Amino acid sequence: MVDKEKISIFVAYKILRVNLNYLNLTYLSLIIMVQDSMKTRVVGVDVGYEATTYAVVDVRGKILSKDSFQSATIKSINDYITILCDRITEMIDKNGGYEQIRSIGISTPCGNYLSGNIESSGKLAWKGQIPLAAMMRDRLGLAVVVANDAHARALGEFTYGCAHGMKDFLFITLGHGFGSCLFSNGRPHLGSEGFAGEVGHTFLLPAGRECDCGGWGCLESYCATDGIVKTAHELMESSDKPSMMRKCSNLTPKKITEFCDKGDEMAIEVYRRTGFILGLGLANYASVTDPEAIIITGGIANAGHWLIDPMNDSFEEHIFHNIKNQVKIVRSALKDDERNVLGASAVAWKVKEYSLFK
Amino acid sequence: MEQNIKNYVIGVDISVRKTTYAIVDVRGNILAKDSFETSDYQNVNEYVSTLSERIIMFAEANGGFDKIRSIGMSAPSANYRTGCIENSPNLPWKGRIPLAAMLRDQMGIAVALGNDAHVSALGEYSYGIAHGMRNFIIISLGHGIGSCIFSDGEVHLGAEGFAGEIGHVCVKHEGRECGCGNKGCLEAYCAHKGIIATAKQLMESSDKPSLMRQLDKLSPRTIVDCCEQGDELAIEVYRITGVYLGYAMANYSALLDPEAIVFTGGIAKAGHWLFDPAYEAFNRTVFHNIKNHVKFLLSTIDDRERDVLGASALAWGIKEYSLFK
Repeated sequence: MVDKEKISIFVAYKILRVNLNYLNLTYLSLIIMVQDSMKTRVVGVDVGYEATTYAVVDVRGKILSKDSFQSATIKSINDYITILCDRITEMIDKNGGYEQIRSIGISTPCGNYLSGNIESSGKLAWKGQIPLAAMMRDRLGLAVVVANDAHARALGEFTYGCAHGMKDFLFITLGHGFGSCLFSNGRPHLGSEGFAGEVGHTFLLPAGRECDCGGWGCLESYCATDGIVKTAHELMESSDKPSMMRKCSNLTPKKITEFCDKGDEMAIEVYRRTGFILGLGLANYASVTDPEAIIITGGIANAGHWLIDPMNDSFEEHIFHNIKNQVKIVRSALKDDERNVLGASAVAWKVKEYSLFK
Repeated sequence: MEQNIKNYVIGVDISVRKTTYAIVDVRGNILAKDSFETSDYQNVNEYVSTLSERIIMFAEANGGFDKIRSIGMSAPSANYRTGCIENSPNLPWKGRIPLAAMLRDQMGIAVALGNDAHVSALGEYSYGIAHGMRNFIIISLGHGIGSCIFSDGEVHLGAEGFAGEIGHVCVKHEGRECGCGNKGCLEAYCAHKGIIATAKQLMESSDKPSLMRQLDKLSPRTIVDCCEQGDELAIEVYRITGVYLGYAMANYSALLDPEAIVFTGGIAKAGHWLFDPAYEAFNRTVFHNIKNHVKFLLSTIDDRERDVLGASALAWGIKEYSLFK
């Protein structure tokens, strides 16, 4: 072999080796980079009127760990946040550690996705405008996003429940409060300031019962927990008819349902009236939004056919004629507390990642 | 290669009284416009024949029919997805009418049909006061009441294409009969016929003197004239109407949280007689978190112009098609 050839082979070999090394180096750093940014878990927090549930959820919607505590009795927001953050940190430590957590999503009544605040809730213990997302992010050092509970739960239902694949639907949550989320063309409709969906504060006539939002005649004051109990008391006062409800000291919608099952006429009338108003309110909502389906969730839906039958009749009576018999009204099949934290976790993926610890 | 690029579309606005059609270019300039009475044609087949003849003659007189890309139409009770007019309570033709298909058969080019409220919103969004707003509602007050919801910059059509029928929300259980078959609809109180009915009710239930009693023709416009002359009963007609409208707007805002509500249509010309009581009722009853940030606005473009411009925007949106290639 001529020297020139030897040199060129040698140079080629060297280049090849350097290239290979470079490739090796790139590959190695890729592995390191990929491993660094693999945060496959989020924390979902569901703040309810009675209890707060929180869970670590992975990217496929699997709940790795879930727990809850009573929050209605904690009067100071600072105490509440301290307890919540301690519990979240404890759960994260036992389930893979902080490096795996991407962000935290919080679902709360009166929450606002755009501002990150709890906005003047009538029923929560903490009043006024509360910068919940900012306060939690300061304590935990991770990105935190807040969403209205109806919005978060609708997202949970859309991602993991019967609304998967629907483009236009209404999601109703009826419990202590009455909220909703409209999905338009596959996306949640938040409105210009993030307050859309307050069906509980629509009215047929602004007269009648006073609502704790300051308004009159609101649907929430007739169809939510307190409203149903009030209807029961009104019926008992206006008539002498005997009823099992009269002997009950602490009346709740659940007990009223039990009396219905036992054939109590006045209890059945309570749900008939409630169902009528609920159906009318939902018919008005559906006439303007034309949803494929209305999905009903929340504690009051446990009243079953006592509520749903009069509600369906009233709905079909008042709905705009061109969509009559086309709107499906269904009850969510997911368990409430599971869907609620899954929804909160779905919201967590929407916020830009942030961590104080890099 | 010589390609015949079609630079113009036709926008057709069908309302209960008049049908207006115009040739519009890509920049929204109206080249020529004409109209005729819709109510002269009780038979829809005759109507479609007349409309297509007029459009062809009109196009030929203004640059040639081969320059027209497509046609967009706006009509009350129309559905964009099906291309049909669906059970209109106010037009002379009843039932389900495949108007887009009928016109396309006669004209040989693509035809799109949109709900008048929807098309009106498109026109306002493209050329009017709603330009740049992401979340707003357009309410059209005329013979009927329709609306169009804009959600995050896009029109919300709904699952079947019927979204926005605020005229048929129930504002009073067992209330007035409405042309749609239900009772107590907003339209039965706040649209053309509803205002006249309120005026008649007030005149019957009271002995108060009123200029309205001497009118040959009682209509929303003549009632406004009476208001301008200080007639108390006429002012009360619009006050009652305004309150119903205000309550409906409060409910609508609680559900959708719009940046603004833009009012259009003939009844909106009643001005402050209607909108002062409406805004007062709205502010009094709307959910507190939304109060103070929803604006009530009146459209700044002429009704007929906005509707043909909106219809032309619809025409640009559909896929081009031609029988003659």
